[in-house]
Amino acid sequence: MPKSKRLTELATPFASVVVELEQETSFVKELRGNALAQFNSYGLPAKKEEDWKYTSLWGFSQQQFSHQAIPHTVSQAQTEQLALLKQAYRVVIVDGVFSNELSQIDNLPTGLTVSSLAEGLASVQSHLGGQINIEKAGFNALNTMLMNDGVVITVAKGINIEQPIELLVINSGATENLATHLRNVIVLEENSQVTVIEHYVGLSDIQYLTNVVTEVVLAKSAELTHYKLQQESENAFHIATLAASQAAHSQWKTNSISLGAKLARNDVHTQLLGEQAHVVMDGLYLLNNKQHSDFHTRIDHAVPNTTSEELFKGVIDDKGHGVFNGKVIVHKDAQKTDSNQQNHNLLLSRNCEIDSKPELEIYADDVKCAHGSTVGQMNEDHLFFLRTRGLDEVSARNLLTYAFAVEVLERIPAGDIRKALSAVVEQRLPQGGQ
Amino acid sequence: MPETEQAQELQQIDDVLDSDYKAGFVTDIEADTFLPGLSEQTVRDISRIKGEPEFLLEWRLKAYRHWLTLETPKWAHVHYPEIDYQSISYYSSPKQNKDGPKSLDEVDPELLRTYEKLGVPLDERARLAGVAVDAVFDSVSVANTFQDKLAEDGILFMPFSKAVHQHPELIKKYLGSVVPYRDNFYAALNSAVFSDGSFVYIPKGTRCPMELSTYFRINAANTGQFERTLIIADDDAYVSYLEGCTAPMRDENQLHAAVVELVAHDRAEIKYSTVQNWYPGDKNGVGGIFNFVTKRAACRGESSKVSWTQVETGSAITWKYPSIILQGDNSVGEFYSIAVTNNMQQADTGTKMIHLGKNTSSTIIAKGISAGRSQNSYRGLVRIGANAENARNHTECDSLLMGDQCGAHTFPYIEVKNPTAQIEHEASTSKISEDQLFYCKQRGLDVEDAVSMIVNGFCKQVMRQLPMEFAVEAQNLLGLSLEGSVG
Repeated sequence: MPKSKRLTELATPFASVVVELEQETSFVKELRGNALAQFNSYGLPAKKEEDWKYTSLWGFSQQQFSHQAIPHTVSQAQTEQLALLKQAYRVVIVDGVFSNELSQIDNLPTGLTVSSLAEGLASVQSHLGGQINIEKAGFNALNTMLMNDGVVITVAKGINIEQPIELLVINSGATENLATHLRNVIVLEENSQVTVIEHYVGLSDIQYLTNVVTEVVLAKSAELTHYKLQQESENAFHIATLAASQAAHSQWKTNSISLGAKLARNDVHTQLLGEQAHVVMDGLYLLNNKQHSDFHTRIDHAVPNTTSEELFKGVIDDKGHGVFNGKVIVHKDAQKTDSNQQNHNLLLSRNCEIDSKPELEIYADDVKCAHGSTVGQMNEDHLFFLRTRGLDEVSARNLLTYAFAVEVLERIPAGDIRKALSAVVEQRLPQGGQ
Repeated sequence: MPETEQAQELQQIDDVLDSDYKAGFVTDIEADTFLPGLSEQTVRDISRIKGEPEFLLEWRLKAYRHWLTLETPKWAHVHYPEIDYQSISYYSSPKQNKDGPKSLDEVDPELLRTYEKLGVPLDERARLAGVAVDAVFDSVSVANTFQDKLAEDGILFMPFSKAVHQHPELIKKYLGSVVPYRDNFYAALNSAVFSDGSFVYIPKGTRCPMELSTYFRINAANTGQFERTLIIADDDAYVSYLEGCTAPMRDENQLHAAVVELVAHDRAEIKYSTVQNWYPGDKNGVGGIFNFVTKRAACRGESSKVSWTQVETGSAITWKYPSIILQGDNSVGEFYSIAVTNNMQQADTGTKMIHLGKNTSSTIIAKGISAGRSQNSYRGLVRIGANAENARNHTECDSLLMGDQCGAHTFPYIEVKNPTAQIEHEASTSKISEDQLFYCKQRGLDVEDAVSMIVNGFCKQVMRQLPMEFAVEAQNLLGLSLEGSVG
């Protein structure tokens, strides 16, 4: 496919940036080299590509990003305040750099390692780049070329980590148009369990790019509970790939809550490679002003007897534009697959837009697959009922909007995390938390 | 290759081919056929032979020149070898009396026997069945029935080429107004070289007293068929149109790129039903028709209604998205579809509902059945424009899988720019459950009958939309198409 000219031109400044980790191995150098070659030949995705049909990178292509961060002044007290959880192992990345001082990972239990990309790479090198595709995937190639930091988390065989790990990624606002390319790797060995929260926060309203790839590897019977809370600044570009591979009997529960950024693009992908592997893939996007959120999900049922559940909900206000593209692929011979995918959208304003595309590709016969997608507005009868009960218009609308969104939150097990995420979502409702 | 050798080879291949395909016969009549090839001259020749007015030739040429700039679309979930458009003959007409047949007696008897085998009620049976047939045999319409009866009501139902001469003002006004020649690759090709088709005009306030039907047949080997159908229902008019297709057996892929345009004015209603059972190729995917069709309806007037019903069991490759543009306020669009694929068939079919007017509503019920090593995709678009207040859409697409080598896919696109819209889409995929089969067998049914019964139940929602004459044929077809796929 001929690539768009302007996007090729854009590729040039990125291609001239050179990044190297401390004691970078030849393996990583080779990955970067391949990625550079891919990036040079395909550039960034153009709108005529099916996967970018509804998301234009025109605004993005007009920016000149910087790869040189000016020192920031984020303090310990600030991170305390920003963090979603008080009781958690906390890893802090500010302006694309892992911060030892701000992180709280001193007393880790046996079997759990949490380190910066450069430090932890050696232990997970064989998994690096294994979950993502860099061919014709401009941002993945870009990330591989330029990954400068990130977090490596490993959990040893049979270990169950009770306390969650919060990965707090902060943009301090010190550097205009800063581009960061983070790579996180999470590896769970057999029978291990852990909860990880990726939390992205912007402290100012400046423009910047967060380009992050998180790779997840689940060995046999491993269980990862994963949350992603995206609260980037209102002018940020947030481009993320979250990709997992799951062995037999493993369970991955992931929930992405997308609230911030001018343009957010999330690719969530898992491959169910072992029998009885199970995935729960949820998400919630709340959009207002001119926000654009694009979720592309893909679940590959590669072997028999795997199951998946997916629920994405969107509340779109003002001139917001939501995109959902969910793909479920049942490969040949993946019999007894059970898959259910739902996407529901609530439109609150005249000028908003939603494009939903739930896809099923099925190459096996003994399967149970269903998907559903709805788009609608607030039910006038429900509203009327609440008004007759004495609620004013604003409260009634707020309550109904929350009720719509809360279904996603209710799938999170009761506890601190659900409470904290619910509070954040409530704050972000169109009429504000009341 | 000498002619005799070629004929021999074709004969051999025919012998090898499956005998299940009941409509597989070639009528041996002399045909007036163009040499293969496509150029501006071909387009001019077609137009000249048909004695078309200048405006139509111009339009064809514009379409041809535009077609040259286009590339074959690749996005559909189907695979097939590149088509060589220069190896196709673009015109074929049965030899006939210069003056044209005035009654059935003058029609080539060989031709009539062909229709008989297909069960076309062209003679007395037609009257009994209450069906008027504008039978298209290859490219030239040879007979029209019930013309007079329809004419009494002012209804025009005639071959497209005749309409060009008798009602050029209508053709000029409506041709390409729903499917412009720039629309897509196959529509452009059709616009350039279309041979014939049907033209229907229902005047204001008229309810067409009978179901109109046309049989399209691809007869002469190697002749692409490029039909063009135009149906206009003026204010408060109603028409139900049936289209059924069979094609004789040949081992070379034959291209069919038809265009159907429907226009519904204020409060008019058009019901368009199709049963398509063209030759699907043999068990190994050899032969079969390539069916690349552009069908689109415009609900121009307020409270107008268009309903597409299709039963697709044939063709090696189907690429077809009957669409409705809901322009008028309160207009209604419906799409009911059954697509069956077996052996090596590939189908990529669905619909588009474009909501532009206020209070428009659409319903999509699509049932896909895949068996053998076939691939069956539903691809649909529901678009709600910014001004389409209170638009409503309900979509259901269900797939039934038979056999572990086949595929069933769903690619729905939902695009909404108006917050008052209510859109629901649901899809499910499953196989015939062991429990259902067991129950039927326990009641004394054999497996084939049990499957047939379950499949018919699965398709019932769509079947009951079909006119009576078609429903029976369609049910038989379903059973036939799936023969041998279970057990």
